[in-house]
Amino acid sequence: MNHWIGNNILTFLIFAPLFWGLLLLALPNKLSLFTKYLALIGSLGIFVIAAMRLLPLEPNNEGVMFSELAPMFTLLNIPVEYHLSLDGLNLWLVLLTAFLVPISIAGAWNSVKDRSGSFFALFILLECAMLGALLARDLFLFYIFWEAMLIPMYFLIGVWGGPERKYAANKFMIFTLAGSLLWLVALLYLAVNAQSFSPGDMAQKVINMPFSAQCWLYLAFALAFAIKVPLFPLHTWLPDAHTEAPTAGSAILAGVLLKMGGYGFLRFAIPILPAAALHYAKHFAILALIAIIYGALVAMAQKDIKKLVAYSSVSHMGFVMLGIASFTVIGAQGAMMQMLSHGVSTGALFLLVGMLYDRAHTRMITDFGGVASRMPIFTFFFIVVTLSSIGLPLTNGFIGEFLVLNGTFVSGFSWGRVVAVIASSGILLGAVYMLWMVKRVFWGPENASPGSGTAHLTADLNVREIAVMTPLVVLIFWMGLHHITFTGASEPCVTRLLEDAEAPPPARALFFNTPDQTQKDTQQDTQQDTQQGAQ
Amino acid sequence: MSLTPNETAAILPLAIPAVAACLIPIASLDRDQSTQKWIRAAIFAIAIIALGASFWYTTRIWGSGMQPSYRYLSLDRLAQFAAIFVQISAVYAVLQLWDHLHHEGWVKGEILALLLFSVVGMMLFAATSNLVLMFLALELFSIPLYALTAIVRVRTKAFEGGVKYFLTGAVASSCFLMGIVLLYGMTGSFDLNVIAQSLAKGVLDPLALLGAALLLMGFVFKVSAAPFHQWTPDAYEAAPHPIAGFMSVATKGIAIIALIRVFGAHLVPIAEIGSRAQTAFAALAVITLIIGNLAALSQTNFKRMLAYSSISHAGYLLLGFVAGTTEAHQAILFYLCSYLLMNLGAFGLLSAFGLVGDDTQFRDMRGLGWKRPGIGVAATICFLSLAGIPPTAGFIGKYLLFKELILQGHVVLAIIAIVASLVSVAYYLKPIIAMYMEPPKEDSEPVIAPFAGATVLVSGVLIIVLGLIPGRLLDGLVKPSIIQVQGGAADAEVEVVEISLEELSPNQLKDSF
Repeated sequence: MNHWIGNNILTFLIFAPLFWGLLLLALPNKLSLFTKYLALIGSLGIFVIAAMRLLPLEPNNEGVMFSELAPMFTLLNIPVEYHLSLDGLNLWLVLLTAFLVPISIAGAWNSVKDRSGSFFALFILLECAMLGALLARDLFLFYIFWEAMLIPMYFLIGVWGGPERKYAANKFMIFTLAGSLLWLVALLYLAVNAQSFSPGDMAQKVINMPFSAQCWLYLAFALAFAIKVPLFPLHTWLPDAHTEAPTAGSAILAGVLLKMGGYGFLRFAIPILPAAALHYAKHFAILALIAIIYGALVAMAQKDIKKLVAYSSVSHMGFVMLGIASFTVIGAQGAMMQMLSHGVSTGALFLLVGMLYDRAHTRMITDFGGVASRMPIFTFFFIVVTLSSIGLPLTNGFIGEFLVLNGTFVSGFSWGRVVAVIASSGILLGAVYMLWMVKRVFWGPENASPGSGTAHLTADLNVREIAVMTPLVVLIFWMGLHHITFTGASEPCVTRLLEDAEAPPPARALFFNTPDQTQKDTQQDTQQDTQQGAQ
Repeated sequence: MSLTPNETAAILPLAIPAVAACLIPIASLDRDQSTQKWIRAAIFAIAIIALGASFWYTTRIWGSGMQPSYRYLSLDRLAQFAAIFVQISAVYAVLQLWDHLHHEGWVKGEILALLLFSVVGMMLFAATSNLVLMFLALELFSIPLYALTAIVRVRTKAFEGGVKYFLTGAVASSCFLMGIVLLYGMTGSFDLNVIAQSLAKGVLDPLALLGAALLLMGFVFKVSAAPFHQWTPDAYEAAPHPIAGFMSVATKGIAIIALIRVFGAHLVPIAEIGSRAQTAFAALAVITLIIGNLAALSQTNFKRMLAYSSISHAGYLLLGFVAGTTEAHQAILFYLCSYLLMNLGAFGLLSAFGLVGDDTQFRDMRGLGWKRPGIGVAATICFLSLAGIPPTAGFIGKYLLFKELILQGHVVLAIIAIVASLVSVAYYLKPIIAMYMEPPKEDSEPVIAPFAGATVLVSGVLIIVLGLIPGRLLDGLVKPSIIQVQGGAADAEVEVVEISLEELSPNQLKDSF
């Protein structure tokens, strides 16, 4: 058994949650009390196995740590392969997913009252789809997992969400499907040309296509991924979905689902269509810049804490897109880092807001005040996470944002410096809206009216909640103090990816093949650059 | 009259349900059938056994690779596929009828006799290349369906739906007949092979073209594609739920399969008809997709929504004819298989939840997904599959169709179809919302619907299985059916259009439509 898991660890990571989730779904209602224990044990087990098996893996000279390849089926002449692979680009995202699922389950332990059995079962099924999408290399397989992610999330929002849950769930579903269905046309166009769903084959075929076609295809790819990120002006589903989703759903939505967009750009859109990606870099950088500033300004005006955090996501994910659009190794590394750190800190913020809501049954900022004196432990965690979200040095948020800004500044683009300078004001605005919210909620006089939120806050965090938050805080500092654990893994992948994208056409698509010696040299150079940049 | 084994093999699959259809009225002469459960059970058993025997026999023929024929009746691979398709939908309908009629409170065996006659007509319709026999088969399966639509005489809506269906259907039949007459006048034959051969020679007469167009109109009516779709929502609303499901799947499916035979294999290869037919198919498909999806969006009645959704699915199927290649025809057949499962599953949900009457609103299903978890999950799978979301059979079917469409350079059509299926998501979510996200109904009695429930469950499971491993069905059942029909028309110069991949220039992104 152990041997089998070792040889098929990626398959195991996808199918273990699938079977576990289906098992939980099949449990009778009377046993739903056990379901959350089973869900927690199952997801923790998956995380432990993932960490134990994946971390010791060493990349081969193609940068791939582990891969599984088997023919799946051939549908009317186009083969579909069961191709999973793990490399520096998805290693930490996989681990983050496996980590956040048990954390979110434990964080939402008592907040789901009705039909909790189905809730946790769907949560585990969602983990299956997310891990599948992160690991799939064949685009048909990726598409199936990508769409399959929607279904559990749709039900999580629509069944267990807030008062506007049906509207939010439908909006989430239709927005995301709109992007991915149009992307499907582009995908099929590439697939029938290449007679394959392998990104490498597609990239080879793209070289001979006219530039206008590449642009259309890239826009279709980018639409699907940009909606997921979400990039301004396609972000409007996010505040609704985040606000209405139950706590655990928001945490996993912010923590992992949004990352799929950025990951899709780095994994598929840019390597397959590098010329068009380079051509549109400017446009995406400007949209990212708008998202950073606009998200922050809208967050500032929010009355609902959860909605504030949701808009801060728009702003933070703008940094991810800016880093990707900068087309520098430092910027892309920053995007990877920002995705990880946003996953940890925003996931943590949503869990904290959920804990507050469970006690006070309100999320309005004006209902609080003076929470610090009633809930000191909660305040400690909230402040730490807030500082990390602002991007204070020593915390994770700083690394990502700094690398992104640095990468944008040094990028060869004419707009690089201007955009970097303006974008850095996003960090400042971030500090404004977060600290202002903290001031109004935690400090100041208590809101003494009997119906207010503070009046309901009788108990501080219990042991379970502290146990949930502690690993997140540890991770925040770990990522801030020793980022090389995370950036080191993605470095070679990102470097090769960008070199291929900027290389003249014949050398392109090397991302999928063996790199030569010169590339390895430059890898080391840029690695040093990044380290210096981060310091 | 003595028959060779080959001829017997061709006749038996049709004869078994025909005999049963004659037996059932005798059995149901007994006026006690509404009180005596065993008489009712016997009538349903006759129908199931007849369909089962016919199915078993057809699969035996399929397995042996035989293609038996008797005079104008030729049970080739495509006809065998059609027979299996119709038999399975009929079994679904009979099982759901048992529960539905008990919920409604009246059980009459005659309904099964009509259903079986219709089944015989459908199998015949797809199993001949003689146009006169085809017309007879068309009437044989249509007339019982007119009666079935209006079978609940006491309801005004039933009368309205039945008459609408009958009148428009009669017009369509006469168009079909006129088309046959014109083609006969031009070529002097009722046989499709002969017609195709003689039309391929020389300049095409406009009258022959008109004949082909009228023939197509008849088919389009049966497929219920716009602009010949108006009868569909009324007829489905009037008919008992399982009959509506049977009509939406079997009638549409059999008309599509016959379209593959008449147009795909015989008339489209003639260049002058082919190019015009392709334009016609493209226009019909686009109109159907737009009308079907937009009209479905605003429905609050579950059955009318399903009716418009079935119209929009006709649009996707017609897109396959625009592509027109062998692979496209295979994609159409695969789509039909998935459509059978998901649509009969969706209609079966009505019977499984015990909804009665002709006015079935979404709100009648409030919270039922939690009360009947198995059926709820299976029905959800059916709706997601209808919307084309992976990992379901519906997604694979759409994928195959769109892929072939793009391969032939019709990128704009593919984008229209994709946008249409995005719109469709909005209304397929409505029943899911009703089942899971609305507060449950009070004081609802438990519904006993073992057979209807089983059909929904089987559909849900098979849709997922087909969505994950579609290769077996595609290679085992779908591919042989189409290879054969193309081979049979070899002397009519089948032109399988093959654009080489390099030629497929991205300029076609702009001007393919």
